[in-house]
Amino acid sequence: MKDFDVMATRQRKWMFYLLALLVLAYGLTPWKAFFLGTLLGTVLSFYNLWLMQRKMKQLGETVAANKSMKGIGTFTRLASGALAVVVALQFEEYFHLIGVVSGLMTATVVIFIDAFINSSKDSKMEER
Amino acid sequence: MNLLAAAIAVGLAALGAGIGNGLIVSRTVEGIARQPELRSALQTTMFIGVALVEAVPIIGVVIAFIVIGG
Repeated sequence: MKDFDVMATRQRKWMFYLLALLVLAYGLTPWKAFFLGTLLGTVLSFYNLWLMQRKMKQLGETVAANKSMKGIGTFTRLASGALAVVVALQFEEYFHLIGVVSGLMTATVVIFIDAFINSSKDSKMEER
Repeated sequence: MNLLAAAIAVGLAALGAGIGNGLIVSRTVEGIARQPELRSALQTTMFIGVALVEAVPIIGVVIAFIVIGG
């Protein structure tokens, strides 16, 4: 329980840092459309991350309590990706499409880097 | 033709996500049912696995919507 919660909080923290950086980049650089698009993609990616963490936690609790669960929110996550693209295509003058698509992958990158760093930390701890 | 391409892309993306998630979740449920004390570690592994599996279908849906709208 505890390890998973710690990991989830750490990932959310990194996402907040990235969002803050993107807001700064939007405000301070001349590439407004690209960073606004990345911001839109990252916000929806953050929603995906939060939903995934919530559903995984719920699944663990339900299985441990010997109950059943209906789904793990895959369709919602696919739909949020579609929503990002629809918004980006509807307001093309404000959002850069490549930015939106790269923003949508932020959560995945954060999860991988976090898992990589912590797995190497764990193996070092075991060596000691 | 664009609609057909988008439909195939979304359909195959959903199929891949369904099979991949099904395999991961079924094994995790089995593991937690056998050893409930390993729940946290199994949840973490499942979380990373689901993130890995779902990255490509999301891109598939995105490409499908770009094909329809662009």
